[in-house]
Amino acid sequence: MAKPRVVVVRSAKGWAAGGDPDPALITRMFARGFALLDGASDGKAAAAALFRPDDRIGIKVNTIGGRALSTRPEVATALAGWLAANGPAAKNLFVWDRTTRELKSAGFAPAADRNGVKVFGTDTEGVGYAEDLVSHLNVGSLFSKILTEFVTASISLAILKDHGLAGITAGMKNYFGAIHNPNKYHDGHCDPYVAEVFDAPPVKSRHRLTILDALVVQFHKGPAYHARWAAPYGGLVFSRDPVAADAVGWDIIERLRASAGLPTLKDEGRAPGYLATAERMGLGRADLAAVETVEEAVA
Amino acid sequence: MNRRGFFRQAAGAGLVLGTGLPGLGRSLAAAGAAPNLSHVEARYYVKLPDREIECRLCPRLCRLGDKERGYCGVRENDGGTYYTLVYGKVCSLNIDPIEKKPFYHVLPGRTALSLATAGCNVNCKFCQNWEIAQVRPEQVEAYDLSPGDAAARAAAASCPSIAFTYTEPTVFFEYMVDTAAQARRRGVRSLVVTSGHINPEPLGELLGVVEAVKVDLKGFTQDFYTQYVRGELKPVLETIRAVAKSKAWLEIVALLIPTLNDRMDLIREMCRWIKGEAGEDVPVHFTRFQPMYLIKNLPPTPVSTLEAARRIGLEEGLRFVYVGNVPGHEGENTYCPGCGRVVIARTGYSVDTAGLKKGKCAACGTAIPGLWT
Repeated sequence: MAKPRVVVVRSAKGWAAGGDPDPALITRMFARGFALLDGASDGKAAAAALFRPDDRIGIKVNTIGGRALSTRPEVATALAGWLAANGPAAKNLFVWDRTTRELKSAGFAPAADRNGVKVFGTDTEGVGYAEDLVSHLNVGSLFSKILTEFVTASISLAILKDHGLAGITAGMKNYFGAIHNPNKYHDGHCDPYVAEVFDAPPVKSRHRLTILDALVVQFHKGPAYHARWAAPYGGLVFSRDPVAADAVGWDIIERLRASAGLPTLKDEGRAPGYLATAERMGLGRADLAAVETVEEAVA
Repeated sequence: MNRRGFFRQAAGAGLVLGTGLPGLGRSLAAAGAAPNLSHVEARYYVKLPDREIECRLCPRLCRLGDKERGYCGVRENDGGTYYTLVYGKVCSLNIDPIEKKPFYHVLPGRTALSLATAGCNVNCKFCQNWEIAQVRPEQVEAYDLSPGDAAARAAAASCPSIAFTYTEPTVFFEYMVDTAAQARRRGVRSLVVTSGHINPEPLGELLGVVEAVKVDLKGFTQDFYTQYVRGELKPVLETIRAVAKSKAWLEIVALLIPTLNDRMDLIREMCRWIKGEAGEDVPVHFTRFQPMYLIKNLPPTPVSTLEAARRIGLEEGLRFVYVGNVPGHEGENTYCPGCGRVVIARTGYSVDTAGLKKGKCAACGTAIPGLWT
């Protein structure tokens, strides 16, 4: 069986003069990431390998951390722009999270233009949560209608950061923002809940791609922002394998922690055990030796 | 204001009367509205370095970074200070028969102004009110009701008590304690319906302002609490001990779920423990399970199971053991432990107290423990 591929695209100069990410550079990073993901000949082929022409694509961002530590709007906008330029119609792209308030606090501008990219939260009037309770393994939750009714395919565009309970927050845990009761799933270092929420039909049937916003990585004392432990990693991480993507994200955090002289997450008793659980459930590969990691710099 | 006036006013304010639940449809309909959250500093927590906090309200001891919420979903760390988001934010408000709580030895036949905010610090797979208990406060409609207003409304509606119920009152501890204090000033009693997951120190404060506590003893093994409650048994037992030692009246409810917690040897063990630790006069209700929430694959509890449990309780020396959620069953009645006559007859929420005179059996004069007036 072929190893799942994880692509890490990095740029040491990802920021514009004002301190925000440089949109043009981020777009180039996306183009390179998609190209390396499947070896597609061009952007349209790369997009076609992931999505049907009529797919309505949800881009699930993580905006709980405010402006300092959320999926950056510039990254989501660049992704939507790249997709729209390579096949999927802009009107079929939905950037979303659980609340519009959190989206705004992270710098997103809500949008509901009929022909453009939509940006809104589950709490938007007329949206909300699907009324059928999904009972799956240890999970009993309502899922956002954005996931269950609005979109046919999903990208987890997650911020990568340390998490005091889960070990890390990355692509899989991002879907905690798709359920009504994530507070119930933080026991046991969020294990097995992260894997089981992902494995629930509303997520598993739609998820196509994980992309981690690792431009700035909070490698300690997350999930809140602490400048002291936030590193300008300058990376975007891509994978079709949700477990492998998070495993590489964990490795990035461990390397940053080591550089700062911090103990490993395992030593702190909070290794992200959900990855091994997810691997056992057949959701992907957690063992880095079984993952092909491709890293490339973009200028 | 009379009762009719209260209902009219409450209905005019959009309060949910009658069902006790806002209903999920209503909750979803509320999507888009600005969340009605409080920002009142919580009690019982400690500040930690790096804007972290540790909640000390319940045995979970949630340790939270900035912007994170506890397991209950209604208490949030904002910049290193912990806040309750549901102070005075009532999502369910009803006038209920006190027997519905159930309290059988507290003001029988009277009503209780019953209220709740969103949230719970456990996650029972058989939760009967999950639409309000297992959600975050943004996901239900909430109405502002200050402690003083709650107490005033109870008094105006001639409710001799306020019951903190439906969800888990521990999670709205600050509001409950303040409301109970206001109620006491007006001569209104306060009743708590709880899972018992609360730490000793806040429980001590609570017991200073409430008159009665009903604790759900959901099972008698840690394994059951782990699998089906997502909680711990030991703190519940400690809560029962503490309430039994306090001035507050204690009743215990054990919901029996077929195949999950209905082993008769464990029920016997539970009854022995209750008698030994809380006393023979503590009313114990064995109540009937109905398929709900995440357990829909099991049938309702056979009445015979409840009857067997009741027999065991009586055999073990508990003097007041009831069958619950079976309207019209003889096990709903209160029997005099002296002469065996019915002192309080019940059919569902219909109550006849003719057999009880000034807290004693009208036939033989045996004292019946409880809060009767």
